Amino acid sequence: MDFRDIAHNFYHFILAIGNLVLQLLWYFLQNIVSAYYFISYRVFKQYKSIPIAKLQYLAIVIESEDAHQTSKVVQLLQWLDSLGIKNVCLYDMNGVLKKSKEAIFHKMKNAKSIEEVNEAVTDHVPYHMTLEFVSYVDGKEAVAKAANLIFVENLKRHNLGGELDYQALLEPHLNQALQIVGCKGPEPDLLLVYGPVRSHLGFPAWRIQYTEIVHMGSLNFMRHGSLIKAIYNFTKVHQNYGKFSRYMYIGKEINHKYIDCASKKHRREE
Amino acid sequence: MLSLSPPITLITCPPKTTTNPTHASRSQSRRLPSQPMIIIKRGTTVAGSIPNADKAEGRASIDEDLLEVELTQTELRKEMIPKHVAVIMDGNGRWAKMRGLPLSEGHTAGMQSLKTMVKMCLRWEIKLEVEFLFSLLERIINSETEAIMREQIKISMIGDSSKLPKSLQRMISSVEESTKNHSKLQLIAAINYGGKYDVVQACKSVAKKVQDGSLHLEDIDENIIEKELETKCTEFPNPDLLIRTSGELRVSNFMLWQLAYAELFFNQKLWPDFGKDEFVEALSFFQKRQRRYGGRH
Repeated sequence: MDFRDIAHNFYHFILAIGNLVLQLLWYFLQNIVSAYYFISYRVFKQYKSIPIAKLQYLAIVIESEDAHQTSKVVQLLQWLDSLGIKNVCLYDMNGVLKKSKEAIFHKMKNAKSIEEVNEAVTDHVPYHMTLEFVSYVDGKEAVAKAANLIFVENLKRHNLGGELDYQALLEPHLNQALQIVGCKGPEPDLLLVYGPVRSHLGFPAWRIQYTEIVHMGSLNFMRHGSLIKAIYNFTKVHQNYGKFSRYMYIGKEINHKYIDCASKKHRREE
Repeated sequence: MLSLSPPITLITCPPKTTTNPTHASRSQSRRLPSQPMIIIKRGTTVAGSIPNADKAEGRASIDEDLLEVELTQTELRKEMIPKHVAVIMDGNGRWAKMRGLPLSEGHTAGMQSLKTMVKMCLRWEIKLEVEFLFSLLERIINSETEAIMREQIKISMIGDSSKLPKSLQRMISSVEESTKNHSKLQLIAAINYGGKYDVVQACKSVAKKVQDGSLHLEDIDENIIEKELETKCTEFPNPDLLIRTSGELRVSNFMLWQLAYAELFFNQKLWPDFGKDEFVEALSFFQKRQRRYGGRH
């Protein structure tokens, strides 16, 4: 066998190995692609069946600088509408969104303002979106106004011969007074923050007692997938609203059960 | 300031002058170089994890741990250390359950995490606010009295103390009195405290002033109410950073008013497993963010 024959055989050998490798690579790629589509389908199916009923009221906090981008805000609302989320509160600290209200309602034809909706927002049949626009003045300033209202009412009652007892002031009184001064929205179940800072930027403190807070990043980089994921994760969360003992004394167990009368919802963590 | 609920609010460190040109905090004008504070808030349970069985008994004292802990600050900028950190110490119960231990062990383990954090805050002059399970507060005060006195830690308490056992009420009063002149660190214990309760009691205080004639109705605004909140016992009532462990994403009625502009750092670790590395991560997270305090146009 001369050199030429050896080279020829070697060449065929290399070719056969190469073909085998290519075939293996091809089958491997096919499996990878199939697995990807299979997983994507399962994930899509899972995310498609989000139990939206658990999310009765959603709040969106947007940096005031980004809030000028009305088109992005409208797109976000359209995504929420398509997911079946109908009750949304929009907040930015400086009230930019309030000023853009008209433009937003012009684009969101099936949306109504919370002022137009008579019945409790979370009870109405969700044929349309209900939008609430909130800013800093609806937070701490509103609490001050509500407190002032209570003081004035008490003073009037006292002047008419009634008892003046400010120490009887309780949370329900403040709740009621806040409704009167215009803060009608309920406590959001979920609050999404769009902005560089992981802070709710002064969203009305009275309303976020047990609200889940999720930071979504800048509004400029908002993604439909991220929104779905945040909502999906929320629906899987379990919350015990103030049901556990506030305190426990080792040696002498004193269990004081505290039930928050404002909230009796449960979401199960899976 | 470390706010804990049953993280407890804690310790304040001696006045310190810091400048942070990126901040335009509403509370900056009230901030004097002062004691750091720690406010820690407990979640639904208070627990701590202590890997060492001996430490699980809470025998290690603050000063021993101070000697052991080596803090590295190379990745953190000193001028951007938050003045006031609030911590929700959540996960003690789950930690104990995962290990088949009784709940009390989880709380004990959580105490060790708390001590570690207090040490770090002492070294870094951060105010810490915590809300404590009152039984643990009693244990800490009893076991760390010497360290509290030596380290000049001022103990304060916020929350509705009327429902606490008399013995604890007396103990707290005594500790508050004996440490009122301490200046190195302020530990504020939030016991039976709620954010809404705080606002309501502030409104009652304001109402009383109106009734007494020392305040006019037309003068009442958010600043007046803020001055009557229970956190008036500190120089920096508003936390810069809130840390909550165990993966929960809410503030659970803790310092609702005060957390308006706080950075919210939610960590997956259970409180007993939250240590120095996690705290450094939280501080790094805080320093990376651009912060705007109440920058209204």
